[in-house]
Amino acid sequence: MYVIDQQAISAQKTHDLSFEKGEYSTYLTSTFPIVEPTYSEFIPLNLLRRMGKAVKMGIAAALPIINRNQQLDGIIVGTANGGLENCIDFLNQIVAYDEGVLTPTNFVQSTPNALAGQLALMTKNTGYNSTHVNGSLSFENALIDAKLFFEASTNITSLLVGSVEEISSYNYHIDLLAGRYKKEIISNDQLIQSNTEGSVCGEGASFFLLSNSPEHAIAEIVDTTQIIHPSTADLTTLMNVFFEKNQLSMDAIDLLLLGKNGDNRLDYWYDDFQQIFPETPAINFKQLTGDYRTISGFATYLGVQILTGKINGAHPAFNTDFPTNCNNILIYNHFDGIRHGFILIKKGTR
Amino acid sequence: MTTNELTLEFKNHLITYLNLLDISIDDIKDDEPLFGGDLGLDSIDSVELIVLLDREYGIKIKNPADGRQILVDVNTIVAYIEENRTK
Repeated sequence: MYVIDQQAISAQKTHDLSFEKGEYSTYLTSTFPIVEPTYSEFIPLNLLRRMGKAVKMGIAAALPIINRNQQLDGIIVGTANGGLENCIDFLNQIVAYDEGVLTPTNFVQSTPNALAGQLALMTKNTGYNSTHVNGSLSFENALIDAKLFFEASTNITSLLVGSVEEISSYNYHIDLLAGRYKKEIISNDQLIQSNTEGSVCGEGASFFLLSNSPEHAIAEIVDTTQIIHPSTADLTTLMNVFFEKNQLSMDAIDLLLLGKNGDNRLDYWYDDFQQIFPETPAINFKQLTGDYRTISGFATYLGVQILTGKINGAHPAFNTDFPTNCNNILIYNHFDGIRHGFILIKKGTR
Repeated sequence: MTTNELTLEFKNHLITYLNLLDISIDDIKDDEPLFGGDLGLDSIDSVELIVLLDREYGIKIKNPADGRQILVDVNTIVAYIEENRTK
């Protein structure tokens, strides 16, 4: 399936293309929040007042794509937690008001499929509408759904597929207690080399208009695969099978996008993975946004930007030497060393 | 509490409960219809209003037909609160 258009809301200024023009935002905070666009430019105030952050940022990422591309046969979203802040507000209300009368807004906005539903309502799209809530593999599963849907339905030509995750006070503190985040404040420039436990919490939304036709494509999402609780040897086997299935030599990969997050207990996975591709250059992306469960959506956005030549190694976010003319990029990301996802993307015809 | 004070308090609750953006107390006229008017409230807001009355004033509206008579404008709601509040 082919990428026709894409948009991201992230801790970098991706929403107004400042990031691809070379602007690089740095942080020295315990979380890396998104750079929020002016939501009222996208969303009527009467709808905006009910929306939680996840829904708002998802719409701000998706709506410009829909406005630029009217043909849309369905909407597929991947999110691990959806509007968690609203969900916790709703649960707290149940306790605070002794299971009495509860406000509907927090409930409506707290369901993970609120974003896909709201997008359908705002655009009057009555096509396929699905939300995948599978932890850190939610975006990969949304891609699989899209791929299967294209293969199964000959009359389906375009799908909006994306991912969204918000920082909520609740999930931040739970994950902090679980040791997922660093105790010390660290700048994003130093995140990957920090060599301490934990990472930094981030958030973001990334959306793509996917088509079953290569015409006007800026990139191709060739395939995705995943594995849970693997050994290092399992990853080698998985990659052999994956590349054989896609009839591609491992040498054909021009660049690896790796999800290193600066957690010295877990980043060895990426070092081991690079042994499978010893000659292939690699860059990291979590220093741009912090870590969150559906960050592979942002990695895909970044990969497509690199394939289209909009971002290269001279960008201040990377300042490293990697091929300027990439044809194939492999994205590898894991969460907690448990769920591992891989996305293979290829240069498009446009 | 005088009617004027109650009216001001209710408008504050209205803005908070419905998260009315870019709307101040002065923008809400006492006799302006809440539904179908400039405020643009909808059916979800009517449920939020019922929750507001329950939590802030101890008033339970159980019959939807009563709701249509009460939730007309600020004046009708404030009058109902004055007569029926339990807290």
